[in-house]
Parts: sequence; C-alpha cells; structure tokens
Amino acid sequence: MVDDQRFQTFLELSEAITGFGRVRLLGTGQAELYFATAERVVGHAIMDELLTAFADLPTRTPELLRLHLFGNEMLGDVVRNLVKLWFGGVWYQLPAIWQQAYGPAAEDGTFIPSPDAYVEGLMWVAIGAHPAGAKAPGFASWAVAPQIPLS
Amino acid sequence: MHLYMNIRRRNDLDALQQDETYDAVIVGSGPSGAILALELCQAGKRVLMLEAATETGKGFDGYQSLLTRFYSRVGKDNQSPFPVNPNALMPRGSELRKLASGETNSDSYIVQSGPYVSDTVYTRAFGGTSMHWEAKTPRMLREDFKTRTTFAQGLDWPLSYEDIEPDYRRVEREMGVAGEVEDHDGLDLSFPPGYVFPMHGLPLSYLDQQVGKGIDGSSVVLDGQTYPIKVRPYPQARNGVPNDKYDGGEGFTPQGAVASYQIDQGGRCQGNTNCVPLCPVQAKYHSGKTLAKAFATGRLDLLSQAVASKVSIDGATGLVSEIEVKVYHDPDHSAHRTIKVKAKIFILAANAIETPRLLLASGLKSSSGLVGRNLMDHAYLLNWALLPEVAGTFRGTSCTGGIVDLRAGSFRRNQAAFAVDIHNDGWGWATGSPFSDLQQLVDQRNMFGAELQKGLVDRLSRQLLLAFMIEVMPNESNRITVDPSYTDALGNMRPVLSMTIPDYTMRGAAYARQFARTIFSRLGAQDCTAYDPGDYGLVPYHGENYAIRGGNHLAGTHVMGTAKNNSVVDRDQRSWDHSNLYLVGGGSMPTIGTANVTPTLAALAYRSARAILRQLDGQTTAPSGLS
Repeated sequence: MVDDQRFQTFLELSEAITGFGRVRLLGTGQAELYFATAERVVGHAIMDELLTAFADLPTRTPELLRLHLFGNEMLGDVVRNLVKLWFGGVWYQLPAIWQQAYGPAAEDGTFIPSPDAYVEGLMWVAIGAHPAGAKAPGFASWAVAPQIPLS
Repeated sequence: MHLYMNIRRRNDLDALQQDETYDAVIVGSGPSGAILALELCQAGKRVLMLEAATETGKGFDGYQSLLTRFYSRVGKDNQSPFPVNPNALMPRGSELRKLASGETNSDSYIVQSGPYVSDTVYTRAFGGTSMHWEAKTPRMLREDFKTRTTFAQGLDWPLSYEDIEPDYRRVEREMGVAGEVEDHDGLDLSFPPGYVFPMHGLPLSYLDQQVGKGIDGSSVVLDGQTYPIKVRPYPQARNGVPNDKYDGGEGFTPQGAVASYQIDQGGRCQGNTNCVPLCPVQAKYHSGKTLAKAFATGRLDLLSQAVASKVSIDGATGLVSEIEVKVYHDPDHSAHRTIKVKAKIFILAANAIETPRLLLASGLKSSSGLVGRNLMDHAYLLNWALLPEVAGTFRGTSCTGGIVDLRAGSFRRNQAAFAVDIHNDGWGWATGSPFSDLQQLVDQRNMFGAELQKGLVDRLSRQLLLAFMIEVMPNESNRITVDPSYTDALGNMRPVLSMTIPDYTMRGAAYARQFARTIFSRLGAQDCTAYDPGDYGLVPYHGENYAIRGGNHLAGTHVMGTAKNNSVVDRDQRSWDHSNLYLVGGGSMPTIGTANVTPTLAALAYRSARAILRQLDGQTTAPSGLS
C-alpha cells in the first residue's frame, strides 16, 4: 500500500513540477508506479527529504522550487528525473557524481517502468499529439492544425 | 475485412525429410515469398515455406506482444519490437560504431570494415521486413529501367516499365495502396486509362501543408533545366478510404488485422505515427495478410525456426537437389537438428543480403561471379530545421508527403536523383527527438511545469525533417561476402558487407544539402542540420562532411540481366546456372532509382510466379533471355 500522506505530497509535488493538475496525473494510471519507482531507486530517506523540502515551501512559486528543489545539490537530479519520468515515461540513470555523493542506488539505470509509462508520457499531451504507436487520434486528424493545451 | 490466420505447420521432421510431394520450397516469409506462395497455392501447387525466425507476430496476440515490447524499449529503433534471436540474428543500428579505415567490427551481425559503416537493416521475423517497413509505394520511373542507355550510368534492366506495369497494379491490389493517379502528374510513368488506386490517397499532414504553402509553385534550376517543385502525397500500402471507381466500379475491400479469431481492427489508418517500426493496428500492409490467404488454400505448409543453411546442387544435372535446414527448438539455445528438404522448384526469398549470403555459404558464386556484388541501398541524407510557426509535427503516418520533382531529369548523367520525404515524426531519425529534446530542456535549460510545456511546443511542434532518398547505382565492389571466421550461434556464416558511397551519389548528396538550404530559406525556417564528425556513416566530399544513413532498400546482389555472363538471374528471376532455382527479391534489381524497392520487388514476384507455373506445367525448360 502506498503511504497515503507521502503519496499525496508526491502528487502535489508532481503537479508543481509538471504544470498538469492531479486529475490529469492520476488519469495516467502511473502515479503510484512513479512514486514507487523513484523511491526504489533513491531510497526512502532521500524521498523523505524531497517530500519534506517541498512540503516546507512557504509558497510553491517557480522561484522557490528552483531555489530549494531544482537547485539543491542532492534533490535537483532527483526532481529533474521525476519531470522526465512524467513527461517521457523514462527513468534516466542518475549522474555518476550523484551516485558518488549520495549513492549507492543499486536499482538505478535508464529504463521504462512499464509499457504504459511510455504511452502515458505527458509531453505528447503538451504538444497536442499522441505517443508514437498509441492513442491514435483517428484517420485524417493529421491534416488539421494541432490543438495545443497551453497555446 | 478481417483475415483469419490458420497456419499449417510441419513439425514431423522425419516425414518432412522423406516428403517429395512439394512443388516448391520458399525460403523467407516476406512480401516476395508470400506473393509467390499465394500465387502457386491458388494454382493448385503444394508449397513449403521456411522461416528462420519464430512465428511471433503471426497472429493478433503475438503481434500485440511486439507492440508491448516496442513500448518498453528505451531505444525505439526500427528493430526495437523484434526480440534478439541468436539463431537468426538481424542487423541493428545499436550495434554499430565508427570505424577507422580498415578497422573491422565483428560484434554486429553484419561484419563491416571502415571507414564507411552502413546502418542498413532488415527484419528476420515472420513477415520479414514488411513488419517494419514504412509502406510507401512509389513505382519506379520509365527512365529508371534504362539508365545505362539514357544516362551512361548503372545498368539497363532486361525489362521495361511497360513490361512491369501490369504487375505494379497487381501489387497495388494485393497490398491495398492508397493513392491518386493525378498526384503522379509530370512524372515519367503512366497508368492505363481510367485507372484508380484501390483507395483514395491519404491526406497531406498539416506539416506538409505548411511546407507546401512556402514552396508550391516555386522552382529550382539544375544543369540549366528548370524544375517546378511542390509538396505532393506519396502512395502508401496503408488502409484509407476505398475508391468506389476501383476495378471498373467494383470498389475495394481493405484488409485489416490478421488474427485467428474475430478482431475488427486495421481497416483504416488511425494516425499512430508509427508505421516504422510497427503499425499498432495492422492498417499497414504486411506479408502476413497475403500468407493468411495462402494458408487458407490448404496447400501451404510452414516450417518456422528453420534456418536454410545450404543449397545443394546435383553435379550431374546442375539442378538444386535439396536445401539443408537447421531447425532449432529454442531461440536462446543453439541445439538444433539438420534436415534436408526437397521440391521441384526452390525459391530463395530471404532478401538481398540473406539470399546471397546463403548462396555464397553454399559455394555458389554463379557463372558470372556476381552473387553478392552490386549491393545497393538508398543513401539517405537528413536535413532538419525549425519552422517559424507551430506545424503540429508528430502526427500522421510516418510520412504523408514529399517532393519528387527531382526523381528524373537530364542531370542524371552527372549526379544522382533523389526523392524527399517530409517526416511527420520530426527530427527523430536525425537527433533522437522527442526524447533528446525533453532531456535537453529539463537538464540543460532547467525547464519544468508550464514553462516546460510551452518549451516542448516551441521545440517539437515546429520540427521539419527532410530526408533525401538518394539514388545509388550498381557497383561490383559494393558487396556481400562470407567468411568462415564469422558465424552465428548455429554455425551459419554471417554476412560481411563492403560498401563505399560512389561519387555519383555524393554529388547528389551535396546538391541535396544545397536544395534543403534553399527550401529552408523559402520557408523562413531555422536550419539546425549538423553532422557529427564522429558519425559512423560520415562521408567526406569536397571539403564537407555528410552523415549518410542506410535506407533499408536492399538490392542488386543477384542481378537480373540478359545472359549468363552478365547476370545471376534472367528476367523471370530464374538462376541462369540452376534451372529449378529462383532468386527473388530486391537482389534481382539492376537499379533502384528513387523508389522504395518493395513495390518493384513484389511486382517481380508475380512475374516469377507465372514463370514457375509454366515450368511446373512443363511449358518451359530454358531460362528466358531477351528473345
């Protein structure tokens, strides 16, 4: 079972770093898998530090997220990996220097946590397209201008 | 229409060895083998098909397992859906590295030496390379069949466009081609009066339309000639809207997914943007669709996991007596049993690398010595840019449109012709987009949240990749050989490839680069093309470097000609040396022009089927020359 409070914080963190709301994130069906994947790779303690650092932010502005998460020596690479995991469905191997300083993270590597993780990548949503090989928009849909959510 | 796949298998190896009732044995289950199987079986002949790979992909569940594997692979190259099988290996781009002149890489399935490394691939799977092909189906042009006479380049075919035209129409029916005759206006080819393709052409993508807005009606000057250019659709073997005028008003019924139970899917393309490496819904033609019909005759038997390893010749008659086959139980173990199979006619349809590999491994170089020589593949030069406005890239089929106005012209005396593809899948082929862009935006440009979403639109939705498919002429020193030092898990010799890109092609490549810059200027696009000096396919030419990619359009290695001394096969693809042996596929093609090879090699398969039926029915004995 996912620890509900920690998972809720992970979801709020995911909203802040992806720009997508929780309905969209939960709709991927991947949120629990991503939480478990990240925690399995970096360990419970580092995940706790990340969640605490996020929860302790007085406001969740891009500036504070940069200063305390993306700009944190240990947490920055982890949170960037979460962004890439949500947008691309791929967990990318952490930098060697991160491993030396904060590892060992024995389960680290570049991998796709499940076939659906690829299919649910949010970058395709962001550009008004669909993952190559899945969620096809239909015959001749390609002939009209794309519908881009943030445009 | 749904196609039932009910395979008839031969697992009784002892009985099979004794079986002398087959009219034909076919090696390979790709388009050539499938068309021959269907034509022969429909004429009442009994056929045994040998497939080196497993049967995965033959039915709906197996096909879906390939799709799931594709989703799961971090590196989504054109072989990513297909599992590694040490007993029937296939080339993979991921195995390649840059090689110095004379340096050899034997870690890859195809052994190559530097400096130029080809990343050409083919798929050893049930269905062959039709599983991963893009399914563009342009015909070759009339002048492509006589380049020696017309341009003093390459070789003339012993066939003309008119000889092959009816068979192109058979291919367009069998594969279900969507296209419009009027989109061929001005090209050096013709159709019978009133002809329409089975299905209407697929609409151009929004991306194609944006390019068209910028260049349609403009022109380029080459060798003193003015060539008007425009974006136009490619014909494709992909299900679209049937044309009710087809077949004299009979119309056309698209063939959807193949399965062993009812499944309604694939009757029309959905825009998965994944033709290569695997159409998720089987709206794209693959040879399983033809094989399903061949199995339904009850006269086709399949022996899979069966690698043809030697073609044996009867010394007295010069006829093929049997084919030696290594049959394995488990792809991950090399344990196998060697059996021999017999038939009246032997047909090698294993593709333009595997067929000569098998012949050479059998000691059969042919009287002309041309087996394995004249290896051709289109040379691709990629050019990529960012359009000024969002163009909705990453939607459509892999490619819907392009520029084909430089496929023909008097300039072919001096330099190669080309056809240009507009890639709906962005810069993927050139740079690894969109994943490489995501990494860059997050890791280097420190984007996240809404800013990242906008950054992705800015970076991905404006991408334009022009892929130039450049002609390569036959050259005897470009070749496949074998070497007993290099073998696979079953002890079969692997192909050794030697290739250099001829100057004729490089002049075309240099012009292609200039042509792309002209197009980008007219579009106001930001040219982002940059060839990595460490690229394994790097070719220096006149002070510039060009990264040349393979096209997977393999041809030439058992070339067709007019006589035993200038060719390996006659115009029916029958071996000059062994009258019960047919070598079918791209290997028979003397030139490839600027057309993807599959429609042409499939047309040749129909020709061979007629010749084989005449031969089986006792109407011919000698190979057919020009008379």
